Amino acid sequence: MSQKTPLFDTHRELGATMGDFGGWNMPLWYKTGQLKEHVATRTACGLFDICHMGEFIVTGNDTLAFWDHLLTNAVTSMTDGQAMYNFMLNEQGGVVDDCIVYRFSATRWMLVVNAGTQDGDHEWLKAHATGDVQIENIGPATGKLDLQGPTAPKVIAKLVGREKLADLKFFRFIPEIMIGGVKCLLSRTGYTGEVGFEIYCPMGDTKKLWDILITVGAEFGITPAGLGARDTLRLEAGLPLHGHEIAPGIPAVGTPWEFAINYEHEFIGKDALLANKGNLFVYPVIVEGRRKPGAHAQVLADGAACGEVVSDILAVSLDKKPAAFIRTTRELKSGDTVTIRNEQGGSFTAQVMDNPLWRGTSRKKMDAFL
Amino acid sequence: MANYLVPGDLRYSKTHEWIKDLGGNKFRVGISDYAAKHIGDVTYVELPQVDDEIGKEESGCVIETVKSSEDVYNSITGKVTAENGDILNDNPETINNDCYGEGWLYEIQAASADDFKALMSPADYEKFLAELGD
Repeated sequence: MSQKTPLFDTHRELGATMGDFGGWNMPLWYKTGQLKEHVATRTACGLFDICHMGEFIVTGNDTLAFWDHLLTNAVTSMTDGQAMYNFMLNEQGGVVDDCIVYRFSATRWMLVVNAGTQDGDHEWLKAHATGDVQIENIGPATGKLDLQGPTAPKVIAKLVGREKLADLKFFRFIPEIMIGGVKCLLSRTGYTGEVGFEIYCPMGDTKKLWDILITVGAEFGITPAGLGARDTLRLEAGLPLHGHEIAPGIPAVGTPWEFAINYEHEFIGKDALLANKGNLFVYPVIVEGRRKPGAHAQVLADGAACGEVVSDILAVSLDKKPAAFIRTTRELKSGDTVTIRNEQGGSFTAQVMDNPLWRGTSRKKMDAFL
Repeated sequence: MANYLVPGDLRYSKTHEWIKDLGGNKFRVGISDYAAKHIGDVTYVELPQVDDEIGKEESGCVIETVKSSEDVYNSITGKVTAENGDILNDNPETINNDCYGEGWLYEIQAASADDFKALMSPADYEKFLAELGD
């Protein structure tokens, strides 16, 4: 039986089509429709129920060494109030999960992980904790709403005051802030390519926070958006989805997300990554025509099979062209043409593109939006 | 369970197509409200061509949505006599907005009404939807 978030009834009232995602019954899209939710997030702001994701608080004097061993990015360079995107790898270099680590202090951190992987992640964390490291699973008690899009800063500024937001940079967070009477952690991060926030609150206050944001956001075009739009937004923005572009059985080499791997330190999976360099690649492509080839369709370069489609969508922001991520064993470059064939006998021509396909507002200075 | 529209003058397939009897063993085909809500925003429809012969349970046409590509299974063996490209080529979202009306897909001429009679009545289709529990 799928789990439900505190907003389940709200989603139903908004005419949501629900679907199972990572063991949770989540809104795929509302009555508004996925296309409009996608466009609203690019042009105004979208509000997403992301309560299904997992959160852990990790504390203790040895936490930094623990992260340095477990996570791929340069976690030791982080300062208080900073968040960082990371992979957590297995010994084979496959991705146990992709995650964001938040630093409150050198001895107090939060790790945010995917919904479907959180139980395994918890076991993985416990199995590798040595010395003074305490792990607390706060997922069941933690609600999460993502407010994403160019008008999102105006909505939050109206609730917390402009001055509190003005200096908040990309991948920085405010550990404690009251938003409409709800105690929140406000993080300037997200998974859409647009400026916006991931907001954490007590699970029991999620509905209150949602209602406040919807009310205050009305004049800024706030639109409830489902996981369907989240998927098309993230693919355009060049971000991976665990189980597709990255997965436990596939070494995380040759991807557009090399920025999340820092080879200047020792971490689980590093040797396997080095051994697999040059064997695997992931690229975004744009497909000619109006049809999508479908996941797992075969990719050929110069007539030779060299990989498969791992995700495909319609790139709503790019004139609704079909777009995909492909994984290949052959190195390709932007502008190269590949052929894609699916099991239904369809043949498609696609062009390798630079990642991301869509460069949104995520990195712009906060001032520009207030 | 969510509420889905199930008009009383149509018959339905287990794959969520509706079929309307136009008389003279000619039938009009579309997808049900349940299907339209579950596939999401339609972005493109690859319709059959007039005079195509399509068998029962073969793919009659393909509906592309933002995320997926869905076959529409044909329930009536016959020959295509009309397709709704005039509306759907430029406005595929009509399927989401008016699946039982302007969002119809194609019409097919059958040799008999046997295939049609084998389809679910509105009451049976409602029961079928209730069993799906969604």
